[in-house]
Amino acid sequence: MKSFFGRTVLITLVLALASLLHATVDESHDFAMEAAMPFVEEGFIVREDYWNGEVKSGQKLLITHQLFKGNEYAFWLGTANSGVELDMKVFDEKNQPVDIKATSDKYFMSVRVNPPKTGTYRIVFELKSKQERSVLWALAYGYR
Amino acid sequence: MKHFAISSVIAGLALGTCNLDAAPQGTKGVEEFDPLAFPGKVVGDVVVPVPSEVFSVLDKLGEPNWRAELRKAEMPTTSDRTKLSLLFGYTVAEGFVAVQAEDKETVKDLGRDVINLAKSLGLSKSVLPHAQSILDAADKSDWSTIRKEFDQTQKTVRDTMEQMKDLDLSHCVSLGGWLRGTASVTSVVKKGFNPDRAELLNQPMLVEHFVASIEKMPAGTRDHDVVRSIRKGLAVVLEQMESAVDGFTKDAVTEIGKTCDGLLVEILAKK
Repeated sequence: MKSFFGRTVLITLVLALASLLHATVDESHDFAMEAAMPFVEEGFIVREDYWNGEVKSGQKLLITHQLFKGNEYAFWLGTANSGVELDMKVFDEKNQPVDIKATSDKYFMSVRVNPPKTGTYRIVFELKSKQERSVLWALAYGYR
Repeated sequence: MKHFAISSVIAGLALGTCNLDAAPQGTKGVEEFDPLAFPGKVVGDVVVPVPSEVFSVLDKLGEPNWRAELRKAEMPTTSDRTKLSLLFGYTVAEGFVAVQAEDKETVKDLGRDVINLAKSLGLSKSVLPHAQSILDAADKSDWSTIRKEFDQTQKTVRDTMEQMKDLDLSHCVSLGGWLRGTASVTSVVKKGFNPDRAELLNQPMLVEHFVASIEKMPAGTRDHDVVRSIRKGLAVVLEQMESAVDGFTKDAVTEIGKTCDGLLVEILAKK
């Protein structure tokens, strides 16, 4: 009986922690969407799909993505953790850096890019925290 | 889409280290980019662009007759979930064409098709609110809302499939949509061929992603007649894309279009 009680408490705790984690990951996306707001006013269409997860502070992440020449793209990186330094760069198929216009805020950063060619691009970003070992993040994008 | 399942490809593998804790120290930042020695994690999830991302460029390069690109396809009656998933993707992509054509009656028809397909897939509860929003927005000719709802509908269906461990079906939704979108793009490009328009077909990474997705599918789905045809068709498409080093020829565009059209015929077949 005692072990049943203990197991129930453990499961409840795990579920509570899991739901807390979900809420915080969602919060990262909320911040990415906050970053997107001024862009929407400029006519950007925000995609519903996005990337998210948890990463060790300072660990670089790479996303491969298809971009079309003729569109202007914006990428919005959000985090639910405070005191995080954000960085993002875009590279072309030949791994050369592409001109971007980046702006940062407390919980998010935005990057604009006009792809010089249609093809595969690499979005490289990192989140550095002085307080946390790992950081929650979400990356969304839009186009116009 | 939940992307917790990051595929951890540690670039340090190439250097003989795969310790996540060994974050690189003293690097100058992301400008020193070398994919073979990338000191980080590769997020394996691929976000497939919606057709309107390509359509918006085609609009900037000319004035395509989107109404001429609409296809009044009759939805086959089937309980085959693989086919239903492909059809779902197809229908959403057709919705994007209808939005581009600003054809509200077709949008409504497709909204109803979305509801029927969702019912057949057992996903109507999550799809109905979006489908209803599509129908309401069509009445108001609110094209940006319709575009957003089609995107949300597809995401909701794929997320639900993934939660139900039907990752293969989720990929089929993406595949059906990509094939329909690409068929439209080739059709528009062929009608007013120029290199800038044709360059929009430079999407080998997406094709490779689809091929890899099919290879990872359970045997039952991978050996499905239509999926096998798609796998073969994607090889043809990829070959054309990889051969287009100096740009796409009109013949290459025709070949890609013909391949996509043939596969769509199979997806829409009554059998």
